[in-house]
Amino acid sequence: MYYYLYDPQLSDKKYNNITARIETRLTDLGINGKINRLSFLKNINQLLFEEIKRGVKTVIIVGDDKTIGQVINLVADFNITIGLIPIGSDNNIARLLGVPLGEEACDVISSRIIKKIDLGKINNHYFLTNLIINGKNIALECDNNYLINLSEGNNTINISNLNYCYNSPTDPLDSQLDVFIENVQKKLLRKAKSTLSHFKNATLKITGDKTVPILINDEKKIVKTPAEVIVVPKKLKIIVGKGRYF
Amino acid sequence: MFKETPITNETDTIIGPSVKVEGDFITEGNVVVEGMICGTIKTSKNLKVGSKSKIFANILAENALIAGEVQGNIKINDKLELTSTAKIFGDIKVGTLIIAAGSIFNGKCQMGTLKEKSIKPDFSKQEKIDLKTPVEPEILTEKKFLKKK
Repeated sequence: MYYYLYDPQLSDKKYNNITARIETRLTDLGINGKINRLSFLKNINQLLFEEIKRGVKTVIIVGDDKTIGQVINLVADFNITIGLIPIGSDNNIARLLGVPLGEEACDVISSRIIKKIDLGKINNHYFLTNLIINGKNIALECDNNYLINLSEGNNTINISNLNYCYNSPTDPLDSQLDVFIENVQKKLLRKAKSTLSHFKNATLKITGDKTVPILINDEKKIVKTPAEVIVVPKKLKIIVGKGRYF
Repeated sequence: MFKETPITNETDTIIGPSVKVEGDFITEGNVVVEGMICGTIKTSKNLKVGSKSKIFANILAENALIAGEVQGNIKINDKLELTSTAKIFGDIKVGTLIIAAGSIFNGKCQMGTLKEKSIKPDFSKQEKIDLKTPVEPEILTEKKFLKKK
């Protein structure tokens, strides 16, 4: 049983044509199901929870990366399959999963190549793509073995599960998180120098100041330290295309 | 943004110059060190130590190229190369060693595998000569000499 969740932005007139074509294609393929158009007044988590209770096994998200980010945290704890029909401009997740834009994504949903991928978790909050932490005086305790000290300069920590950053795609099937640390040192009358570090870890403990601002699935949140980041292997069942990056 | 590059399992761990690592750094892949490490480094693959890096750790790797400073013992299974900027303060145990002119090495060095050790002569089969107890030389008279014959 398929359940379709439409992003609030798709209520805009400019998307009428594409949504109509998608619905026709889904009917042709025989995978049409209940459609729920989200709005700013509806609570996405409550809607999904009720539908999962009724016995929905496959949830198809029609929208962009932000829509997926909102749904992941709720879906992770249930045994359901996720699919994507990407519409809009911000669709990096769909590209990494090998799902083409718009109408063509219906064929990928129909072919149902399902992969069990890892999810990242920070203090009981799941994330699919990455975390971005900016700040000084941050230390990372990795796999309970060693400590990474970041005291000098401005550091940007990018903890990725499914992502394409610094010219390399990260693998969401390896049961590890890729940790990229970019350090930028600015000097007067000189070009800013940036250096990159890369680690692979299954568990991380972020320590430092009392609170750290973290971007989780492109959503800014303030997290109290120490914060624990772990990878949960094979947590999410997701429909992927043949052109996926893993 | 996206290139057609497949994911390879041999992705390097890179420890940049701004990073200081403390503890036991154990990994399965290639390691590039440009920063500072205190503790131990263990890898089943290759290790590269940059010219500005400082390592206060024991190292265990398959192959290594060292251009920076290492204070600790190094055990390399196959090949170790020290460039002209390398400074090693510790013992080295290695299969093959290449040292460039200008590099500093203070410590013991053991090269080659166990099979290549020099073969010691087996003295256990020979009679032991007791050097401590003095043996008086026997004087043979004419009679004794004839008796012996």
